[in-house]
Amino acid sequence: MKLTTASQVVSFAIETEYKIEAFYKKLAEKYKDQSEVFTSFAKESMKNKTVIQRTYQGVVSDALETGYSFEEFVVDDFIPDISVPEKASLFDVAKRALQVEEKIQKFYQIAAQMSGGLLADVPQTFERIASRIDKRKESLKSLFK
Amino acid sequence: MATGIPTLMMGYNLEDIASGIDEYLIRQPLGVFSCIAPFNFPFMVPLWFIPYALATGNCIVVKPSSRCPITQTKLIELTEEAGFPPGVWSIVHGSGSMISSEFIRHPDIKGITFVGSTPVAKQIYRDAGQYGKRVIAQGGAKNFMVIMPDADLKRTIPSLMTSFYGNTGQRCLSGANAVVVGEDDKFYREFVDTFCDAASKIKVGYGLDETIQMGPLQSKKAKERVLGYIEKGIEEGAKIVLDGRKLRIEGNLPDDCFLNPTVFENIRPDMVIANEEIFGPVASIMRAKDISQAIDIIHGNRYGNSAAIFTSSGKTARDFQYRVMAGNIGINIGIVAPMAFFPFSGMKDSFFGILHGQGQEAIRFFTESKVVIQRWW
Repeated sequence: MKLTTASQVVSFAIETEYKIEAFYKKLAEKYKDQSEVFTSFAKESMKNKTVIQRTYQGVVSDALETGYSFEEFVVDDFIPDISVPEKASLFDVAKRALQVEEKIQKFYQIAAQMSGGLLADVPQTFERIASRIDKRKESLKSLFK
Repeated sequence: MATGIPTLMMGYNLEDIASGIDEYLIRQPLGVFSCIAPFNFPFMVPLWFIPYALATGNCIVVKPSSRCPITQTKLIELTEEAGFPPGVWSIVHGSGSMISSEFIRHPDIKGITFVGSTPVAKQIYRDAGQYGKRVIAQGGAKNFMVIMPDADLKRTIPSLMTSFYGNTGQRCLSGANAVVVGEDDKFYREFVDTFCDAASKIKVGYGLDETIQMGPLQSKKAKERVLGYIEKGIEEGAKIVLDGRKLRIEGNLPDDCFLNPTVFENIRPDMVIANEEIFGPVASIMRAKDISQAIDIIHGNRYGNSAAIFTSSGKTARDFQYRVMAGNIGINIGIVAPMAFFPFSGMKDSFFGILHGQGQEAIRFFTESKVVIQRWW
């Protein structure tokens, strides 16, 4: 899937955050011991979604270079696998979650680079979310131990 | 901006202008204003004026474009829902010429804002002046984009694409003429080729599909008008390097109002397509030997809405900003749209009036300055 407009990139990000929220909610339900962590991740995904929406509505307008900024941003590799196998161990799901985080983080990093032509709020928002994901990755890694 | 009106409406004072006498200025609303809106931004353009008029204490009557009356009607419904007192924000539909002349003649209307074509802007300005009304009349445009040899083309081209082809070129801040500066043929060729390549890749189709980058023109008539200019350009000897008449539309849509991006080169400043507002997705590329010649070309045009320069040199940019007679100057910005804190400026045949819309100028437009001189015994 190739994205070419800022609107498409924002829609992709929002849609992905919804998927990730659902993924963590499912994990929170299934792995009660880690419910707090997974619930906080789900909430954070919704926070990310809100921040992206606000940035888009706040600074992205027709007046700016919205239509032509993302020259062929291929996002196929950033679509996370959010399936939760029925009998997966906590170790397995933590590993899956880590892959999800790595994919979405990479997406935000590239989106930040590619949106350099837009008002600075846009790349900054993507960068901020990407860097916040580091913390989530650390938390997930701790589940391996 | 409107929420900051109390601060912006503040006057000023001077104590003891003479012994025991103080003087101060207060700003007061005038009464009723009217707003005549264009079709191309049926929501945004009236909001350049309405919040200022209302927040400074006036009432307003809006006349939306007959070509797109629904947006403002919806907005009025929302104001009712929000609890606006009846009559504070009103709407009237109908013929532009009939309603504008009523606005001009009506004794209760203190001022008029208009955004549209230059002939109408000029007429409203002239007629309203006879009745002692305040006027903000924004007319047409022919915006020049000057590309210096030191421009960063990688970043310039996307900006120019939005400028020339955003809104299908139907906006008063759209780029119309690109002036490539310098005698370096290689740079010129690189610019034209890159520009055409980017323009040819623009996806044209249904405007509400977010993968689409350019929608249709507003009407069949608008398309016919643009086609007329394309034919005129060919007739005048301009070279068509990208022909938007060869339609490439995404999806199965009727082609009545669609055109793809068009690019002309070998444009002379005296050509009709270099001078008149096309209001469509047509770019005219011309050359200037240096920045001074580029500025002369800009000044040879009757309009002065906006002009932009793309360069890596601060000195050249400053020179451009200093010398160019256009109301909104862009430096590495393709659509020079001032945000609400700044006036939407405009010069020459692009603007008729004294105070502009938006920013502090709008506060002054919608209020009367009253000076009080006081002494107490």
